[in-house]
Amino acid sequence: MRAEFRLAGLALTAGLLAAAPCTAQRTADSVLLAKHADKSIGLKIWAPGGTLILKAWDRDSVDVRGRVASDEHFFGGGDARGMKFGLEPAGGSEPAGQSSLVVYVPRSARVSVKAVTARIEASGVSGSYYSVSGSMHLSGSASSIEAETMTGSLDLDLAVPWLRARTGDGHLMLRGAPEDVDVSTVGGTLDVMATSIKRGQLGSVSGDIHYAASPAGGAILEFSSHSGNVELILPSSVSGVFALSTVTGAIENRFPGVRPAAAPRSLRLNFGHGGAQVTVRTYKGAIRVRPQ
Amino acid sequence: MTNPLHLTEEERHMAADGSMGPEDLVVAQRHLRSCAECSADVERIRGLLDRVGQSAPSPVSTSDVNELWPAIRARIEQQKVVAMPGSAPVPARRRAIRPWGFAFGGTAAAAIAFLLFARRNEAPTVATDAVAVADSGGGAALIAVVDSTRAFEQEAQALLNHFELQRATMRPELARAFEHDLRVIDVAIAELEGAIASDPTNPALRRLLASSYRQKVDLLKRVDNAS
Repeated sequence: MRAEFRLAGLALTAGLLAAAPCTAQRTADSVLLAKHADKSIGLKIWAPGGTLILKAWDRDSVDVRGRVASDEHFFGGGDARGMKFGLEPAGGSEPAGQSSLVVYVPRSARVSVKAVTARIEASGVSGSYYSVSGSMHLSGSASSIEAETMTGSLDLDLAVPWLRARTGDGHLMLRGAPEDVDVSTVGGTLDVMATSIKRGQLGSVSGDIHYAASPAGGAILEFSSHSGNVELILPSSVSGVFALSTVTGAIENRFPGVRPAAAPRSLRLNFGHGGAQVTVRTYKGAIRVRPQ
Repeated sequence: MTNPLHLTEEERHMAADGSMGPEDLVVAQRHLRSCAECSADVERIRGLLDRVGQSAPSPVSTSDVNELWPAIRARIEQQKVVAMPGSAPVPARRRAIRPWGFAFGGTAAAAIAFLLFARRNEAPTVATDAVAVADSGGGAALIAVVDSTRAFEQEAQALLNHFELQRATMRPELARAFEHDLRVIDVAIAELEGAIASDPTNPALRRLLASSYRQKVDLLKRVDNAS
């Protein structure tokens, strides 16, 4: 029951995050930069605080609009192949983070975003995103995504062939249609609701991992956690071989008709025709497997 | 032709391998026709050179290398396996063992076993170098994961050294987050190393340790990117 509440809460959070750009866009009325750009332009963006919204469009230009707070000023330059722009403090002190930028980039562009506390929203924009404590909501189709934050949360709703994401204590939510996935947290909770993953390394040190999906046919997924619990919530149509092992934790299986573990603290489950291979390892975290 | 009686050693070799100049060669051939000793020696050197030429290795093609590589790799892996007390013996080449060999081998094995036992008792630290025990078919996997752990450990140490230089200029909130996460990971590593010390052949523990070191490397890279 708790898991359902948690998932409902996550969905509500995601909905609120998705609605947030509308608020930001209302104030993003002044054009800060508008330049012709190659399709595959590389962009370096520095946004320490406030809000940064990135959108891919089918035009050959980069367009930056926004509202710059009085304690910051906008800088930018470059040519059609590469640009660099962002916000920096006007008087040398730390900005309060009240600025907001909306950036339109060609669909094949690649960005490298660095932020401190800024909230980042990106839709269909490939590249790397680094932040200290800001949260990120990345969505849409992209060629590859790398997202890292020290303490912020990551909400990744992506159709992407390659995805790498890291956070410390933040919450990492993975959904959409990623294929090759490498995601981990240190203490934050990792929620995975993507059925499309073909190769996946999903780990945490002390955070819990929840996987609520059915692995794709032929998928190879590896979950590992030191002290966090790993919970697999699987549909009745699931197909795959699940190898679960823990060193000092417990394994709890709620699927009926499964024989007890042959070895202590390990369990091997075969569902359907065994299409996917899923491995779960913990040191002292519990492993729970239950039907949806 | 400094010596009118015999050819020098160098002259004999040059006559044998054909590297002698034309003028000197005329003089040398004239001498060889009249001197059985020098003639025999030049023939000996020539024969020796022929044998060396025949036994030189032929160039190896890329496809040959590809075919040879699995066996070479297997030999390398085999050399990494260090038999521990109580483990299955590593297959060795068959050869005749003399009775005194048993006695010597037994003594040596007892000495090694004693040293290993004594060392384990006095220093219960975890050796993260190549230690492998022939478990039920998991030996190679264990070696691989130990190698992986060692690689991550070395990389983490290198990054930590690099990071020390940056620490002073780091944002306070970044430094706090880093210290917190590093502590969490180091506690996990310490727990795993303690568990491995009492169960060194457990591949699951080794994999979890490798995973924790990987987390540490990721953290150090992440803080570098965020700086």
